[in-house]
Amino acid sequence: MGKVYVLGGAQTDFERNWNKEGKNVIALLKEVVQDGLKNTNLHLADIKELNKENKIACFVGNFIAEKYIEQGHLGALLTEVDEAFYGMPSARYEAACASGSVALDTAASKIRGNEYDVALVIGFELMKTVSAKIGGDFLGRAAYYPTEGEGIEFPFPKLFGRLADELIDRYGYCEERFMENLAMISAKNYGNAKRNPYAQTRKWFMNQEQANLRKTKLNPIVGGRLAVSDCSQVTDGAAMVVLVSERFLKNNFVQKKPVLKGYGHRVAPMTFNKKIEESRGKEYILPWTRQAVLDAYSRAGMGVENIDFFETHDCFTSSEYAAVSAFGITEPGKEYTAIERGLTQLTGSYPINPSGGLIGGGHPVGASGVRMFLDLYKQLAGEAGGYQVEKAENGMMLNIGGSATTNYTFIIGNE
Amino acid sequence: MDIHTITVIGANGTMGCNIAGIFASFGNCKVYMVGRDISTVENAALKAALSVKGDSILRNLIPKDYSQLSQCIQDSELIFESIVEDLQVKREINYKIAKNVQPWQIVCTGTSGLSIENLAGCFTEEMKQRYLGVHFFNPPYNMTLCEIIPGKYTDRELVKELRNYMEQVLVRTTVEVKDTPAFLGNRIGFQFINQAMQYAEKYKYNGGIDYIDAILGPFTGRSMPPIETADFVGLDIHKAIVDHIHMNTNDYAKDSFVLPEYADRIIQAGNLGRKAGKGLYQSVEKEAGERKKYVYDILKGEYREVYHYSFPFAEDMILELRNGNYGEAFESLKNNQSEEAKLCMRFILDYIVYALAITDEIGGIPSDADDVMAAGFHWIPPLAFVEALGGRTETRKLSQKYLSEKILNKIGLERLFRQVDQSKYDYRKYLRAKP
Repeated sequence: MGKVYVLGGAQTDFERNWNKEGKNVIALLKEVVQDGLKNTNLHLADIKELNKENKIACFVGNFIAEKYIEQGHLGALLTEVDEAFYGMPSARYEAACASGSVALDTAASKIRGNEYDVALVIGFELMKTVSAKIGGDFLGRAAYYPTEGEGIEFPFPKLFGRLADELIDRYGYCEERFMENLAMISAKNYGNAKRNPYAQTRKWFMNQEQANLRKTKLNPIVGGRLAVSDCSQVTDGAAMVVLVSERFLKNNFVQKKPVLKGYGHRVAPMTFNKKIEESRGKEYILPWTRQAVLDAYSRAGMGVENIDFFETHDCFTSSEYAAVSAFGITEPGKEYTAIERGLTQLTGSYPINPSGGLIGGGHPVGASGVRMFLDLYKQLAGEAGGYQVEKAENGMMLNIGGSATTNYTFIIGNE
Repeated sequence: MDIHTITVIGANGTMGCNIAGIFASFGNCKVYMVGRDISTVENAALKAALSVKGDSILRNLIPKDYSQLSQCIQDSELIFESIVEDLQVKREINYKIAKNVQPWQIVCTGTSGLSIENLAGCFTEEMKQRYLGVHFFNPPYNMTLCEIIPGKYTDRELVKELRNYMEQVLVRTTVEVKDTPAFLGNRIGFQFINQAMQYAEKYKYNGGIDYIDAILGPFTGRSMPPIETADFVGLDIHKAIVDHIHMNTNDYAKDSFVLPEYADRIIQAGNLGRKAGKGLYQSVEKEAGERKKYVYDILKGEYREVYHYSFPFAEDMILELRNGNYGEAFESLKNNQSEEAKLCMRFILDYIVYALAITDEIGGIPSDADDVMAAGFHWIPPLAFVEALGGRTETRKLSQKYLSEKILNKIGLERLFRQVDQSKYDYRKYLRAKP
């Protein structure tokens, strides 16, 4: 089995509204491909050459372009970006908000199996073509639509609001203290985003007090106990990562590049009710999320003590809260001990979402997995600029689809 | 620098209220909002919270009236004066501030172009070191630019620390500018806008105002066409700015700051732009609640429905931009020999060259011009525009081809372009695929 190296990549500026700019999906893909190739020192001529030898392929992550932009067949869409993509193996991979990760995982397996030398992994979503309400309904298809999505206004905030309820119930938290913890997560991610030049909210105001002031005019409730400040953003954007084989790296580059060390992929019951039923009486509310983390640790031969920083899927503050124990930073039910002591802050011993995550950075659904992976790369390569963590030898990401239904983890690190 | 308590004077005004919001939110400062009467200031506090989308800051906003001014000042580390742009009125209030401050405090005046040197005259020699101009752009939550204008005596260390505070804590983009009329951003921006207004008169037989705006639409790097921007800003404010620059500067583009006669007529009639419901443009309600956009026809001297111009060069550019072909979009512009394409090109190059020349003249560096235009206007910044046009050699050549002899004789094109560096801004996001 071959090793999988990460050459780098690019993301678009998540502050941009492509609909307002009057630009289409081809313009979005062109930019991310051009920037991704430029940042990895690859040229379209190289791509053509590799394609002649059948040593390159494309993996496109996207959730639901059919709804947002009336477009399917997204792997083939790259042929509209440039002629260099004519004839290239390319397909779209989908697992709701974990679409980017399933594209990455497939790409990695093709490199590992020595079938291709170079894999271009591109995740994207254009979400600002419709109102938040209609978009919320589209996203409901990541849950079981007939019972959890259809006819329900903003289904996902409600599902993750139920996760917050379950956390309080199962671990017997004081509600006030728990909600304050969620506000700390929100304020941290907005704060980190201020340091990230690609983050959607980099100019927005948010602090812990504002995040904890729920049920107000400017921070209304959107699902259960969760308010606007607990939610990730509606975002337009794309991200690209280039994975390469050991042979390709050694032949073309002198510098060292991070390597993929482990991954995990577990699927939990589709509906939130069944998730809760299944895990009743167990330690973890989301046992398959935890299992995906353990699988990655086991494949990498590592434990939480070896991980220097994390990017997690904070689609809501409650999901980052649960991720703290899923990563093994604390025992389940004790997440607040890490949050309150500042362990997950940028300068803490287990920084979570130095990039700002989905809450601060933005969440173009199909791009998020690839964006997290890119952020792991940036930290490991020392290219994270203002949000660079002090120690970056190994980083881990957790990308989830649906209500923690598809769970994907990756560990990449320096050799 | 650590700032906990500030006083904003003139906090019931648009700028004062928004500035209070920025300090109370990002800075988490306690802000005494001083205005003429408590109830209007209370209302301004609500607006300030709304402007930063944060109701938690209401706790930080303390409405006060002028009877409590000296107490507020004495309790503050920073005093931000943001009253009406009138030198005499500003001097009076600055004298009042001067009576109540001590050298451990900082005094900022919010002005879009009055002389800092003159205002500093209200203070003792010692306090002059703690006094400077700070020009926020409206609305500051979206426009992050702050021009920092030190006076002759302002302490350099204070300037450095304040800039750092504004960038790190208040999430501002700061540019230090010299105490020159209208400073940097407005000088560059309003040159472009006013010149467009002048050309509207020159081309009144082609349609005038909406004709020029159609040539300089969002596909050239601004979300709003220039003459419509003047309407949005307010024609009285536009007039005050360009008159001030025209009277007090003497650069090669001085004549482009002369307000065209038709604009003066519109102002005289009280049609001050969008805030007055009527100006250079007017939105007219037709039957069934449908609104139509009208424009002042300079030739006819009356308002008419806007024309829907269709210029082949603009259509081509928009199509290319829609598909992300930026190079091709500008090739269409360069290759098109129509009067409209040439006008468009001349305006773009004029903008780049004037921005570089003025920044140079007032002792700034080219990237300052980028910062002011990107963060103060959301316009494609000049250095980024150079890249969009194909780089500095190409842009210099185009300038030689398109700009008038009069301009070329007065500026050292070679030298100006030699200073041009890579922009830190991405030009792509500014170029909209929209007419």
